[in-house]
Amino acid sequence: MNAMTMPAPERLLDVKGLSIEIDTRRGPATIVDGINLHVNKGETLGIVGESGCGKSLTMLSLMRLLPNKIKVKSGTANFAGRDLLTMSKSELRKVRGGQVGFVFQDPMTSLNPVMRIGDQICEPLIYHKNMKRSDARIRATELLRLVGIPSPAERLDAFPHELSGGMRQRVMIAIGLACDPELLIADEPTTALDVTIQAQIVDLVKELRVKLGMSVVWITHDLALIAGLVDRVAVLYAGTVVEDAPVEELFARPSHPYTRGLLASIPKLSDVAANRLSSIGGTPPEPGRRPQGCPFAPRCQLAEDICRQSVPPLEPLGGSGPHRVACFVAQRQLEAA
Amino acid sequence: MATIPMTPAELDEPKTSLWRDAWYRLVRNKLAIFGLFVIVVLAFAAAFGPYLTPYDFLSQDLNARNASPSLAHLFGTDDLGRDVFSRVIYGTRTAFVVAIVVTAIAVTIGVALGAMAGFFGGWFDRIIMWLTDVTMSVPNLLLVVVINASLKAPLAGWMEAQYLATLNPFFRETIWVDFILVFGSMALISWPPYARLVRAQVLSIRSRPYITAARALGLTTRIILLRYVVPNAVGPLIVSVSAGLGTAMVLESAFSFLGVGVNPPTPSWGNMISDGLRVWQHYPHLLAAPAAVLGLATVGFSFLGDGLNDALNPRGSK
Ligand SMILES: Nc1ncnc2c1ncn2[C@@H]1O[C@H](COP(=O)(O)OP(=O)(O)OP(=O)(O)O)[C@@H](O)[C@H]1O
Ligand code: SF4
Ligand SMILES: [Mg+2]
Repeated sequence: MNAMTMPAPERLLDVKGLSIEIDTRRGPATIVDGINLHVNKGETLGIVGESGCGKSLTMLSLMRLLPNKIKVKSGTANFAGRDLLTMSKSELRKVRGGQVGFVFQDPMTSLNPVMRIGDQICEPLIYHKNMKRSDARIRATELLRLVGIPSPAERLDAFPHELSGGMRQRVMIAIGLACDPELLIADEPTTALDVTIQAQIVDLVKELRVKLGMSVVWITHDLALIAGLVDRVAVLYAGTVVEDAPVEELFARPSHPYTRGLLASIPKLSDVAANRLSSIGGTPPEPGRRPQGCPFAPRCQLAEDICRQSVPPLEPLGGSGPHRVACFVAQRQLEAA
Repeated sequence: MATIPMTPAELDEPKTSLWRDAWYRLVRNKLAIFGLFVIVVLAFAAAFGPYLTPYDFLSQDLNARNASPSLAHLFGTDDLGRDVFSRVIYGTRTAFVVAIVVTAIAVTIGVALGAMAGFFGGWFDRIIMWLTDVTMSVPNLLLVVVINASLKAPLAGWMEAQYLATLNPFFRETIWVDFILVFGSMALISWPPYARLVRAQVLSIRSRPYITAARALGLTTRIILLRYVVPNAVGPLIVSVSAGLGTAMVLESAFSFLGVGVNPPTPSWGNMISDGLRVWQHYPHLLAAPAAVLGLATVGFSFLGDGLNDALNPRGSK
């Protein structure tokens, strides 16, 4: 299985050792702890993890959009050869919306309520592509058609409140795609939608990424939803990557106890192995109260003494290959096998 | 695709549904429509009244002094035999001019400073907030009296000198001195509430997801402020401007009443009320007419303001 001797694919985004802190009354608390992530050219990466594990903050920090009081403490984020975290503001503005498109979690509040959606789509085109407004409107119509909005030319003049949630999410995707980004970051773009619409949006992005040849980062807490969309999955727990593997590999051989718990909570995958672990009890650690060793140890049924003393590093399972996991027990089990 | 118009001309004409929706909600509100009606009538009187009034506001008829209301003089006449109806109408013009100009100046200052204070925060915010505190803590009337008392004479003297030097009739109109001082001092005490309102709006808008989304598009701070922040803060601002116009009229009357507003013989409701108050036991109509119109105007603006509030917040209230 470690016959991966092809030349290493080119990395579009490479995040190393990213830590994020929040200022609290009791001093700084770590929210994201030394995350390593990468996205290859043309690849779709899924990021999963339960609510509050730092998925959104990680992505916002890459675009330097963190809210007040939340800061990047350390790390680098290399995008197409430059560090997003240290580049100049004017360079960053060209990346934002130009090379990197962002689709936000909540379609109800992420569109400007007093601006026609046509104008909102035109805004990045005028700014990044120096288009005239009339040309931008033509392109906006094409984009709306691309994301499957019926009678797009009429919709240009609609206000967000005149569209349904699913339509608004499509508009957000159209805005994210406006300038032909190399990377599209979609932060749980379907949580606010009902199930059939969710599937439609996933299919839409699946189709578009092939058509447009872009890389995608898709954040979700619903592994089943994106199983057919992503190439690779990074599982986040309490601000660290605990497992990172190609998607088939992850479903076939989930190795971190947390990943197995996540998979077990998907009904249709409840095979014998997964049933044993049922759903995960307990709650993730609060920022500022992280356990000393493995962050998952307090909830882990397999925890041993070493887990409470040192942090398991994210290392390739069996010494090499693309399947990496941060768990002492999983690594040892494989050695034993 | 024949169904999709692709020429820029066809695509370029946006419809106006946000404001049209608000308008529909507004016209269903009876009190608001009453307020709007009152304001429209008064505004009409302010604009065209002086050309339609039966008498000149200055023409005296010493044979008919302090006459009670009659067909010839709808609101009667004052102690110089001037037609009160004509003077009230001319006072409407004074009230509107003062209210509109003062509110325009105050809103411009308030919106600019408030928006920047809210958006940038930090020391700029602290300075602006300190300024509003100071301005609001000095008694308004005192401030206006001090400004008028100290600047009126020098300004009038300067105008006189200019007139003598240039013979430009503009400088002979002492009414400009009044207006500059009245506008200036009233705007000076009126901007802080607008600044605070806009700042609070901006503070809440600044953290809304669509602002983060706009920043994620790489838009500049200036565009975000102008096209994302300010338009979203404008609803409550319109409401408070509508109420503010009424307040400015009351304020102007109060200052005229105290003799620091628009000076006689230019009619203003305030100095008519002040004159009427001296003789109201004998000639109540001299007080009643200007006071009633002032009251009506205030009520009109406040009803309209409430109506606008409901109309512009479709998802709030009810
Ligand atoms: N503006 C903020 N102020 C204070 N704490 C915040 C803020 N935003 C996020 N946090 C905290 O940071 C942590 C990570 O938040 P984040 O939004 O990245 O989670 P998430 O993984 O995206 O969750 P979800 O699935 O709910 O979107 C959470 O514990 C949250 O409480
Ligand atoms: S390292 Fe230990 S505590 Fe952490 S997940 Fe693995 S077994 Fe559980
Ligand atoms: Mg999130």
